[in-house]
Amino acid sequence: MEYRLELGGEITPMDVEVQPGESSARVRIGEASVRVDYELVAEGHWRLVVDGRALNVFVARTEEGKQIFINGRTCLVRDADAAPRRRGRAAGPDEGPGEVTPPMPAVVVRILVAEGDRVTKGQGLIVVSAMKMESTLAAPYDGLVTRINTAVEAKVMPGDVLVEIEPEGENE
Amino acid sequence: MFQKILIANRGEIAVRVIRTAREMGLKTVAVYSEVDARAAHVIEADQALSLGPAEPSESYLNIDRIIQAARASGAEAIHPGYGFLAENPDFAAACEEAGLAFIGPPAGVIRDLGSKTEARRIMASAGVPIIPGTAEGTTDVATVRRQAEEMGFPILVKAVAGGGGKGMRVVAEAEEMAEACQAAISEAAKAFGDGRVYLEKNLVAPRHVEFQILADGLGHAIHLFERECSIQRRHQKIIEETPSTALTPQIREAMGRAAVTAAQASGYVGAGTVEFLLDQDGKFYFLEVNTRLQVEHPITEMTTGVDLVRRQIEIAAGEPLGLSQEDVAPRGHAIECRIYAEDPAEQFFPSPGKITLLREPVGPGVRVDSGIYEGFTVPVEYDPILSKLIVWAHDREAARQRMVRALGGYAVLGIETTVPFLLDVIESAPFREGETRTDFIERHFTAWRPSAPEADVARMAFVIDELRPAARPTGGDQPRGWPTPWQSLGRWTI
Repeated sequence: MEYRLELGGEITPMDVEVQPGESSARVRIGEASVRVDYELVAEGHWRLVVDGRALNVFVARTEEGKQIFINGRTCLVRDADAAPRRRGRAAGPDEGPGEVTPPMPAVVVRILVAEGDRVTKGQGLIVVSAMKMESTLAAPYDGLVTRINTAVEAKVMPGDVLVEIEPEGENE
Repeated sequence: MFQKILIANRGEIAVRVIRTAREMGLKTVAVYSEVDARAAHVIEADQALSLGPAEPSESYLNIDRIIQAARASGAEAIHPGYGFLAENPDFAAACEEAGLAFIGPPAGVIRDLGSKTEARRIMASAGVPIIPGTAEGTTDVATVRRQAEEMGFPILVKAVAGGGGKGMRVVAEAEEMAEACQAAISEAAKAFGDGRVYLEKNLVAPRHVEFQILADGLGHAIHLFERECSIQRRHQKIIEETPSTALTPQIREAMGRAAVTAAQASGYVGAGTVEFLLDQDGKFYFLEVNTRLQVEHPITEMTTGVDLVRRQIEIAAGEPLGLSQEDVAPRGHAIECRIYAEDPAEQFFPSPGKITLLREPVGPGVRVDSGIYEGFTVPVEYDPILSKLIVWAHDREAARQRMVRALGGYAVLGIETTVPFLLDVIESAPFREGETRTDFIERHFTAWRPSAPEADVARMAFVIDELRPAARPTGGDQPRGWPTPWQSLGRWTI
């Protein structure tokens, strides 16, 4: 089976062939071909033996993909072929993340704009607070604020679209 | 001795205090805010009382509600932990007025030592070396500028009521003085309600070394040696160790004596910490006294074998210290890493959320003081410290290797933590060489990015995990994470 996996911004194609009845797979990454023996020790805990080297790997599913812990380091791995999850409006014209959404669960502290305001890319829209730190969510592109979906003191989550902006600009 | 104590705190420190209280046969009362209803300290305690909404002023900082909870539960003493009300003299006074034992120094001592200028005055009178600086705080910028000209640059403008690096500005030249003063004064007024600032000479890349003290109510005071806390990020300690690689036996003895003098001069009772700055020439200067148990106290416990919380409770119950200076002899080396719910790959943004998987490291010489458990949702409202990982070994290099092993086994999923960053710091050459000064992170780690040495294995794990979405662990009903004979014996058939 072929996979294209994204890790740290890099997409790597892989081919995986499971050996029937053996708890083992043959994995091809680029030129290299390795044998991986695997065993599920407990929920989320895999013991892998990669070409003779044993590792304990911990895996948790997230909205985006999987968070994987190996020897003190974590990374996020995503299936580049899986459909991206989107709540609310689609991405803006320059294909950057077009949503005004908090990066972590937070509380809205200040709303800096009003419906009907014209905003420019990078302009601060909403200030949220989490763990005693404030961060400002900015407009991803030039546009007009059409809706504000939140209020001061509201608890918000990643994926909640807090401000909707109708894009304006040359590249439509 | 008390029958029942209330712990006016949360998270790892509340759990840690509850553990010692249980060992002493005391009943424990936890207090919690709405978002902490299922927190670890609530689950550990014999009794738990709700304080109110998550906002600290409505819960962990609410003196009236906490005193009420103590009354309602019949607790005779209150342990304040660290942070929150631990160094609030009004809280200590309120406990005293309510007939409750405050497990800490008397309110007057907390008040005196809480003022930087008053603390410096007490120390100077007792002959403890203080950082050269001004004696009184002021909000008059012109006065501060004149004093600075007299002292010379570089200089540090500091808040009288300050702490945690707030209301502090380093000023390299006279031209920067006016602006720096204004900024420090307004930051101090906002953070502490008192905008007064004073000046201290700015030491260049000092080491931050603190001494643990214990004093009973009968005038006996000892020190329990030092902790090196130089590795800090934005004035927040992240790694601490003992002994300090910078101290010779002579310097240690002199600083220890100064710490005990500081305790006696201020009328200290209980456990406290005297902080010093050590400059490049081996000269030390009093910085401040922390009138509470410190976050990093476990490294002192590991090397001395003294349970500081136990001593705090005994002293508060009126018992004599029972330990002379000669009775305390540290052995080996201990290192602590603070584990924060922060994403080191995203400028250490807080990372609250649900912990979906947790494996705490174990084994010889490994101690984890934890306030979390698998399935717990870390709230957004509080300080992001999750736990402390402490290791002890016979010498520094062995302790360092043990910390590397322990961090490698500290799996937390569902949120991000500072484990990968700490691992890189502990594995680094400057750390191995003991180059721990307060500019350590600035010098070696500002451009840090997380590495993924096992990126290929992570990809393989992703796919293998995909292939068996319905896989049941081979252990069946066994407790999680422990290999069972069914697994370790290998394949077999009847």
